[in-house]
Amino acid sequence: MSSFEQFHIDFYQSNYTIEDQEEGCNSYGSDKNPSINKILKFLVAELGINFEHIWQKTLTVLNPMKPADGSIMNETDLTGPMVFCLALGATLLMAGKVHFGYVYGMSAIGCLAMHALLNLMSSQGVSHGCVASVLGYCLLPMVLLSSAAVLFSLQGTPGTVLALFIIGWCSLSASKIFTSALAMEGQQLLIAYPCALLYGLFALLTVF
Amino acid sequence: MGRLRGQHAGGAGAAAGPGRAGPGRAGVDTVCAPAQGGGSAVIDMENMDDTSGSSFEDMGEMHQRMKEEEEEEAEGEAGAGEEEDGEFLGMKGLRGQLGRQVADQMWQVGKRQASRAFSLYANIDILRPYFDVEPVQVRARLLESMIPVKMINFPQKIAGELYGPLMLVFTLVAILLHGMKTSDTIIREGTLMGTAIGTCFGYWLGVSSFMYFLAYLCNAQITMVQMLSLLGYGLFGHCITLFVTYNIHFHSLFYIFWLVVGGLSTLRMVAVLVSRTVGHTQRLILCGTLAALHMLFLLYLHFAYHKVVEGILDTLEGPNVPPFQRVARDIPVVSNAVLNTTAKAIALTL
Repeated sequence: MSSFEQFHIDFYQSNYTIEDQEEGCNSYGSDKNPSINKILKFLVAELGINFEHIWQKTLTVLNPMKPADGSIMNETDLTGPMVFCLALGATLLMAGKVHFGYVYGMSAIGCLAMHALLNLMSSQGVSHGCVASVLGYCLLPMVLLSSAAVLFSLQGTPGTVLALFIIGWCSLSASKIFTSALAMEGQQLLIAYPCALLYGLFALLTVF
Repeated sequence: MGRLRGQHAGGAGAAAGPGRAGPGRAGVDTVCAPAQGGGSAVIDMENMDDTSGSSFEDMGEMHQRMKEEEEEEAEGEAGAGEEEDGEFLGMKGLRGQLGRQVADQMWQVGKRQASRAFSLYANIDILRPYFDVEPVQVRARLLESMIPVKMINFPQKIAGELYGPLMLVFTLVAILLHGMKTSDTIIREGTLMGTAIGTCFGYWLGVSSFMYFLAYLCNAQITMVQMLSLLGYGLFGHCITLFVTYNIHFHSLFYIFWLVVGGLSTLRMVAVLVSRTVGHTQRLILCGTLAALHMLFLLYLHFAYHKVVEGILDTLEGPNVPPFQRVARDIPVVSNAVLNTTAKAIALTL
């Protein structure tokens, strides 16, 4: 975990240490079964999966109007994004579409393109992991859209309106986090538009 | 001093190799060099050739050179330390150490040359100034791209910016994909996306290059980035037209949009080019070519794109297609002949 932090030391000074993780785990694990506490400690220490942080970031994504703390995206956490991609694939599967490959392919190419664009537009650089993490977390509303696609067809005016709303939600969250992490106030719309195009592709996958 | 000269005498730093041949002297050279090169930390002005193609290449090279000087200073101190340890191993140890150090030096020089060439030409930072925009500027330029300029007697300013054009090309790709999806072509998604991206980017880059070549022949005052920017913003009219007409299917509406919206954006591009070209024949060649290509591309996207896809489905799936609302491609002769020969072959085998 320490080497993982050092890899990104050039870009951020992370104030996220392993002692904080263990204290966080102890605080909500102590009144449960001690074996659960051990499992949580193992996850944090060995794999770097901190449920508290994942939950905090999820709440930030779900509320795009709340101002984001720029430091929350300092640590590159890909667990949450992977879970959300799998959830998107699973909900698409429930609607009868086997599109796991498309989801992963579009995520990868989208991350590369956004990374190139953000590096060109921001004065400080950004790493691939940070971009992948932010884009993955902001995919959560798209999971809601594909869950709705299981219940009723989105090919119609209500479906289109819902899809547009979800695309706006995703891109607003993503651009909010990027602008606060990279200090690019005033350019939020310029970042939101390519994010909207990327999430629009996911919406096309979900709707049709 | 000699090391600095050697570095910029060869374009890719080929002279840097001989500059430090011999491990015995390498440490000495790199240790002494800062003392000699400290006075010439100032950039050698004869290398700052602003008439070269891009001054960003020079900036990148200068930056790379300064980074390498810092690295070599650090390495020199480390190398000096290593050599002092090697001498204590005796004759055999010294020869082994010598061989290792020669190999190490060769590897480092080769790596340095390759990384310098790579970072100079694959440096994405060269494009950085073209993405430095504000939302207000982008909006203003989008609106201006639909307004033809009236003054063509002195050169009109073109914003050398790549963010807006790039986003417009991606928007066109998204609109094409949406149009293909609403015409119920779900199965061929991967191919459809590749075709859409290839068409849009191919048009933007290919026609820009072709127009830049023509502009060079016709002596027009325009650079490649300006051409890319002009054509990219000209795609705004295409995006509007296709977005409306893919959702409202009336041919007459499309023709009106083609003439008005497509025509306005073409007129804008033509007026800017005319203002930057001298001579009637040259103006005619440039503007006629651009107008024809731009308007024909919009026509192609509206009419041929759907049918190309539907044609692929027709030929691959055969006559047993579900009843979509499509216009059938009239290739009856071919399919009849194929059917006849197939029937004969089956009859012969039976």
